[in-house]
Amino acid sequence: MQYAPSRIVWPLTLQGLAAMKLKVNGVERQIASDWRSENLLTVLREHLGLVGTRFSCGIGQCGACVVHVNGVATNSCLVSVAAAVDTDVLTIEGLTTEDGTLHPLQQAWIDESVPQCGYCQSGQIMQALALLKENQEPSDDDISLAMNGNLCRCGTYDRIRKSIKKAALVMKGAD
Amino acid sequence: MVQLTRRKFLIATGCVAGGATVLYTLATRAAASAPTIIYPNEESGAAWIQIRPDGSCHMYFPRQDMGQNANTGLAQIVAEELNINVTDIQGVRPNTSDVPPLAVTAASMSLTAFSRPIALAAATLRESMRDRAAVKLSEPLPSLLDDLGGFRTADGREVGYAELVDETSAVIEFDDNKPAPALYTFDPSREKKQVGHSVNPLDIEALVTGGPVYAADVQIEGTLYGRVVQPPVRNAHIASVETKDINEVQGLVKLVHEGDFVGVVCKSPSAVEAAMAKIRVSWDLEQPINQQEIDKLVDVDAEMFEGDLEHVLQDEAHRKSVDWDIDLRFDVQVQTHAQQEPRAAIARFNDSNAEHALEVWTGTQDPWAIKRSAAMDTGLSQDDIIVYPQRIGGGFGGREYYEVERDAVRLARAVQRPVKVQWTREDEFTASRCRPASTHRLRIAVDGEGNLSDWWYGYVSGHVALARERMASWLLPVVRLGTDMGVVKGAIAPYSAPHQRVECKDVDLPIDLGVWRSLNGAPAVFAIESAMDELAVQRGEDSLEYRLAQMKGAHPRLRECFERVAVMSSNKPLPGGANYGRGFAGGIFDGRCYVAISADVHVDVDTQKIRVLHMCCAQDVGLAINPGQLRAQIESNLVWSIGMALLERFEVADNNIQSSNFDNYLIPRMQDMPSFDIEIIDQPGIPPAGAGEVALVAGPPAIANAIRNASGFRAVKLPIAFSDITSGFKA
Repeated sequence: MQYAPSRIVWPLTLQGLAAMKLKVNGVERQIASDWRSENLLTVLREHLGLVGTRFSCGIGQCGACVVHVNGVATNSCLVSVAAAVDTDVLTIEGLTTEDGTLHPLQQAWIDESVPQCGYCQSGQIMQALALLKENQEPSDDDISLAMNGNLCRCGTYDRIRKSIKKAALVMKGAD
Repeated sequence: MVQLTRRKFLIATGCVAGGATVLYTLATRAAASAPTIIYPNEESGAAWIQIRPDGSCHMYFPRQDMGQNANTGLAQIVAEELNINVTDIQGVRPNTSDVPPLAVTAASMSLTAFSRPIALAAATLRESMRDRAAVKLSEPLPSLLDDLGGFRTADGREVGYAELVDETSAVIEFDDNKPAPALYTFDPSREKKQVGHSVNPLDIEALVTGGPVYAADVQIEGTLYGRVVQPPVRNAHIASVETKDINEVQGLVKLVHEGDFVGVVCKSPSAVEAAMAKIRVSWDLEQPINQQEIDKLVDVDAEMFEGDLEHVLQDEAHRKSVDWDIDLRFDVQVQTHAQQEPRAAIARFNDSNAEHALEVWTGTQDPWAIKRSAAMDTGLSQDDIIVYPQRIGGGFGGREYYEVERDAVRLARAVQRPVKVQWTREDEFTASRCRPASTHRLRIAVDGEGNLSDWWYGYVSGHVALARERMASWLLPVVRLGTDMGVVKGAIAPYSAPHQRVECKDVDLPIDLGVWRSLNGAPAVFAIESAMDELAVQRGEDSLEYRLAQMKGAHPRLRECFERVAVMSSNKPLPGGANYGRGFAGGIFDGRCYVAISADVHVDVDTQKIRVLHMCCAQDVGLAINPGQLRAQIESNLVWSIGMALLERFEVADNNIQSSNFDNYLIPRMQDMPSFDIEIIDQPGIPPAGAGEVALVAGPPAIANAIRNASGFRAVKLPIAFSDITSGFKA
């Protein structure tokens, strides 16, 4: 199933409200009525043009579509857009500052030359960000546990691990 | 190795806006439905490497990007020859109208086949610039020395490429009367500035910032959404279709039913989902789809009992009746690509004023085959069709055919609007062209000194390169009289015996088959290296030394890989305690790539798990163009080795494909990762060997041999489950 039903129970009546909006990467976005029965991933990609979040499994098994909803790493394929109304959504596009400076995680991903095909990496980076928000000095086991839901068929795991550690040092130094 | 002759470098001219362009050349197009198999030669041309009036270097990237980053390596070669920085090269992925057909991106051939023609083209361009510089500075040619982005004289005068080209376009032709330009890339004595250094993929920033690089990311005004019912196997025919209540789906634009093709076009993805849920298709199958059927079809023992197998690959003084020291059968499961990107395509039909009647955006290993297939499918001429290749989110051999593109083209034609088709993960599994199941019988006998005397290896595999639909059905039986280059991969062992025979048979299976990373290389080398390891263990010999002895002086490059891995693995002792083991394996891929691997495993009785702890790999890569990316490919192959040895099994039952997603087809995750120690053996005097699918041949047997070492259990079936081992445990 590509567009699996949301795990979050949401009162359907709210979908009929005139205005549906959510904040994406700090910008308030209106969701046009045609898009209100889609999941969050589809709305981000097809309606809002934020295609950096990728579709891969559709059932929350691979992590390619991870975004942050109110700061929580979330498989956007599993959340209806109606369930995300009035939340703050952060996508991979929101990590880079306006002047183009990369987030320390993105920079570490480049320094360690992580991506091969690259398809899973938006989700990997967003998941890693969630980890580093909770744990500034993750151990190997912490990383394995936190990242185990994010598949990489190319097998870049070793470099992902190194990048997370590298970014953790940078982010800690910046605090 | 393809080499350009000096005879004629250029015939056709590309479309050049200005500046100086050098071309390297390509053959005429391939036959209609076959994959494009054209590697560079001197028959025709395309605009390739260009120095523009501002001095910048523009290059058409000749390979499809799917994670192997071959184009980065090729750009390094151009940069080396032109004395510029690789990051200053503006690489463009050509569409099917920009250049003549390019070979399918496959078989780890990108650097092997393209490195020398590209180096020659770039060097020709450089020397032509040197001629111009000599004229400009009124200096004799030899006094023009290489400089970054141009030339300089001994007395310090400099001239950059920008000063040597103008708005007049010029195409540089190779001149037979001049000596061939020096190829800096292939000069072992030269200290290189670009080649041999680790360079990131040139588009890496787009990959970490979520750039629009894949087919599904393409945004076309007015696009509708579509999807098609995928058959469990492509020779199935629709027995019945039920679409009750489908017209009640809000947002349905059209139900499209043409023969065995049933799909929908809708205004939104959720409407597609709803409409597809209303469609029920039952299929007429030519063969039942279940595991028993597959097992029966690839039963090597039944086939060898009947007599000689269809294809004899090696036969020297073969003896059938010998006291065999090893007589083992190995069964290898069906596997699928499971690349992270489910494929997507967008098709748009244009009115007669447009340059192309049909445009297709897709990620594919073979854009020119997609164009040919679309022409056959629609009746349009190839000139009316353009394919815009996008980055591929993982290929591994599975992205060569006209499939999701067909869905998009037919749906777009039916509604005369642009249609985007995004395959679901279930579609990916259902329509997978899998690596076939195979079974292998290996018999080895030794003489009084313990040397191999007899080697008899027979195996039966599903088709690989000669799978159904690779060519017209009437042609297939004829072509299959020959050997399938995918099925025979890896079958000849590096060990020699005075009496040896290798034979195989390839068969049709009830599922779709195709090219998967390493083709038959990984299954065959698993059988060979498991059998050799078992022989060494049973004789009480050191497994590594025994292998080296039985190579009898042949394959020095493989020998060096083994010797390096022996040293690397000895640097990290196995943990103390029961049920830890180390195994070795090595192999040659395609006669040009050499690899040896060690694996350390723990057979954990408490958790009932087999865990790979550490892997060492030494790989002879020929000339190492980009060591960092070579290492990445090796890491990838080691991870795939864990999947093949311990996790992945493609399930079929009840006349259908049962594997449907990552919850029931397990691929390696972060928690499955061992540590790696990787050594690249650089051979500056040997062409690049390719690395995309090499280490996968030796990884699975190294893991199996480590399990043997840890537990006494000889794995004869992949994937290996903990429950398989229980019976074979050491007392």
